[in-house]
Amino acid sequence: MLKLIPSRAASAQEPTSPELQQEIEQFLYREAMMLDNREFDDWYALLADDIHYYMPTRYTRGKREMDKELSLLDEAALFDEDKASIGLRLRRLTTGMAWAEEPPSRTRHMISNVQIHTTDVDGEYEIECCFMVYRNRLERQTDIFVGARRDILRRSDNAEGWMLARRLMVLDQSTLLSNNLSVFF
Amino acid sequence: MAFTSKVRLLRILSSLFMNQCRHRGMRLCRADAGNSKAFVCSYHGWAYDIAGKLVDVPFEDRAYGKVDKEQWSPIKVPCLDTYKGLIFGCWDEQVPPLEEHLGGMKWYMDLMFDRVEGGTEAVGGVHKWVIDCNWKFAAEQFCSDMYHAPFSHISPVIAAMPPGADPSQAAWPMEGRQFSDPNGHGTGFFLNAPGFLQALLGEEVATYYEETSRPEAIARLGEIRGAQMDGSHMTVFPSLSFLPAINTLRAWHPRGPNQIEVWALTIVDKKAPASVKDAYRKAVLRTFSAGGILEQDDGENWTEIQKILRGHKARQTLFNAQMGIDNDRHDDPDLPGKTNYVYSEMAARGFYGRWQEMMMAESWADLSCGGVSDDSIKGEADNA
Repeated sequence: MLKLIPSRAASAQEPTSPELQQEIEQFLYREAMMLDNREFDDWYALLADDIHYYMPTRYTRGKREMDKELSLLDEAALFDEDKASIGLRLRRLTTGMAWAEEPPSRTRHMISNVQIHTTDVDGEYEIECCFMVYRNRLERQTDIFVGARRDILRRSDNAEGWMLARRLMVLDQSTLLSNNLSVFF
Repeated sequence: MAFTSKVRLLRILSSLFMNQCRHRGMRLCRADAGNSKAFVCSYHGWAYDIAGKLVDVPFEDRAYGKVDKEQWSPIKVPCLDTYKGLIFGCWDEQVPPLEEHLGGMKWYMDLMFDRVEGGTEAVGGVHKWVIDCNWKFAAEQFCSDMYHAPFSHISPVIAAMPPGADPSQAAWPMEGRQFSDPNGHGTGFFLNAPGFLQALLGEEVATYYEETSRPEAIARLGEIRGAQMDGSHMTVFPSLSFLPAINTLRAWHPRGPNQIEVWALTIVDKKAPASVKDAYRKAVLRTFSAGGILEQDDGENWTEIQKILRGHKARQTLFNAQMGIDNDRHDDPDLPGKTNYVYSEMAARGFYGRWQEMMMAESWADLSCGGVSDDSIKGEADNA
């Protein structure tokens, strides 16, 4: 249901190259690895100052009302973050007293189905992809989060060559089947 | 939805019925929300109108002859009532009236639901998540446990301090009271702890609360509730909890002894500006939801308690619930009912005592309306 999420893709799509596909996929994999390696400072440095990091809740609805499957922007969301609030979440993890992540979870972020769309802004691309985040913690707690994402990547002169300017996510669960949501996507 | 009166609201609610077909028990409506002219069971096609009346049975003439449509309509919720916009239902026809059940708790609930003219409303959408714990841990914590906050939830406090600040200087308010109702309800709150809300929910919410909501609340509710109470937690027995000012409401739905499904809503004053309502929505989801930086840690603690309790020996362990056991008061000049220090377990003893009493009683008539006194629990503890 990613199509219900606002898109910035240009109406007239410019052609993209295998080289760009390769470059963007490699960036997404490195970014995912930073989260799994708990290199949160490095990950935070990739976030643009104007980032919107958003995951709506989902409703189970009948087929005739599939256009109302996601919570609206003024309704309950699982994440609705800006750079400062993500920073607070990350600083919390450094205290050693964020019990939901102390001891830290083992996570693995898998990214696939990467599609690139051009936008009307130079150097900005809209990326659609699927994710699977596996979390295992303590003795045997295991959670699997699967969904889709629509990111805006912005060209940058940082070491990775890209900044993350927007991340809109759809999780394929309506009732969240975990005792909390203490990992990043 | 705007209801013209409580009478009209109750008339609409009178059609509330069990989501279960009377033929083979199939779930009738499998969507969270939507519009429909009828509910048609997906198993054999028995159809019910939206008021819950059985209207069509496939092949009725040839296969049944006649089905009594009144008799085989879904089970109705027999007892319904409302309080300040909250709707309460009970499957037990013998249950005492809501007014009587809420009792002395209403005075404290008004802190959240009757602060300003026009009352409250819920932000759209529900946070639903599953925690592998017994429902009583969650209900007890919101009933009685201010004590966990300074330790369970210290990490966001430290994280919000300026870089280089000394974490040991993270001060938590120390003045406040706790209330326990004979029917098992409970609440606790700080007194005169300004700044609490701004630290948790940010400036826009705090500015609205202090400058718009608080003066009106003082006029409506008086000095103690309007001006002095801050940072409340509360549970309406058995499984409905709130945090006034933070404005989260949640029902802890038991899913067997080892699991709950949390349904959490954000509550706002109806008349608050749209920007304030949105600031509330965001601030609450960032703090008190499955991903909230305070609530995450509750899920961790309750899950691990429940896991340990599966052990044969571990479940026989006696736990310490003595906090404030000699400090009950009935003579607080400002607060009705039985009160204690804010860091106390009086309301937890009241909650579990009421639960135990209900589990042991044969009927409503056997239940005292006074709950279990701290004195009798203390006696049991001394004997143990």
